[in-house]
Amino acid sequence: MSAPPVIFDRIVVRRHRDRAAPLVGRVEDVLRDCAERLLDRLDDTTRRFTLALDVGGRGVVAPLLRARGIVTVTCDLSPAMARLDGSGLAVAGDEEFLPFAPASFDLVVASLSLHWVNDLPGALIQLRRALRPDGLLLASLPALGTLAELRAALTDAEIGLAGGASPRVSPFPELRDCASLLQRAGFALPVADIEDLRLLYADPMDLARDLRAAGETNALALRDRGPTPASLLPRALAALPRAGERHAATLRFAVLTGWAPGPGQPKALRPGSAATSLASVLEDQPDRNRNLPARPA
Amino acid sequence: MTETPIGSPVDPRLLEILVCPLTKGPLEYDRAANELISRSARLAYPVRDGIPIMLPEEARALDG
Repeated sequence: MSAPPVIFDRIVVRRHRDRAAPLVGRVEDVLRDCAERLLDRLDDTTRRFTLALDVGGRGVVAPLLRARGIVTVTCDLSPAMARLDGSGLAVAGDEEFLPFAPASFDLVVASLSLHWVNDLPGALIQLRRALRPDGLLLASLPALGTLAELRAALTDAEIGLAGGASPRVSPFPELRDCASLLQRAGFALPVADIEDLRLLYADPMDLARDLRAAGETNALALRDRGPTPASLLPRALAALPRAGERHAATLRFAVLTGWAPGPGQPKALRPGSAATSLASVLEDQPDRNRNLPARPA
Repeated sequence: MTETPIGSPVDPRLLEILVCPLTKGPLEYDRAANELISRSARLAYPVRDGIPIMLPEEARALDG
């Protein structure tokens, strides 16, 4: 088996999350808004869940799940971030090396937390295995279009200052990649859709402060490790598109739902297994045939 | 062992579901040292403030 490509420096991802743990209150509102949109999906099912795993919920997701009466274990790559959870059900663990036994949970929620994983298919497979049969995965991931304004502004500013550009915003998946990822990881009934959240900043430097407080600063393995020109960030942020007096940044995230395969789930019939032909059904209902073209004799 | 237990013990509900992240093998809970021991990976994972730190880079290698 070939090793997955190393896109992110996981040591730096952990360091950023450790550093963000005491600051995360600053972005709690945005994180909660995103988490609530994700957990809204729970209202679409009549299933009741008893034991959930919250992956990387930054102290925001687990309380929302517990408010719904679901016992919730929270797991974060950063021990400092895991410690934000005071319930006694927190674990420091790596999404790429998940420390849970098969069939432990009936719900896994990963709100904006799987996008720093190098081996996303591998992480999804491990999450599926941690689910009991017919357990639900709810995950949101920043999708292509997230921070597009910032990516463009940083690239323009860096070319202006240094005559070239280095990667500063992560690569994000497209929506169609997300659904096929779920399928590849063995989830049944996979669905992916898009949600947009527009952030407006009076002071564009607040966007940079928010990203730091969320533990979302650059951890790309190919990042420029030299000193960043001091004027780069202010110059780029000032060039963010304006909405009236304020600067805009879009958070576009894909919402992924998939079920661990289980008995009793709807399945497509085996091709050729039908006992009735479509033509005979249509002939039996002449009223419904009114608008059909005449059949050739 | 001269180590004293540090902080709170692991919640029994976690002990039921935790496995070694490297081998997915079972863990033994050493209450005195407050460590989760993976015989298959020959590692002892620390517990801090009741939080199991299931990160191989933070684990202690078992000798012998």
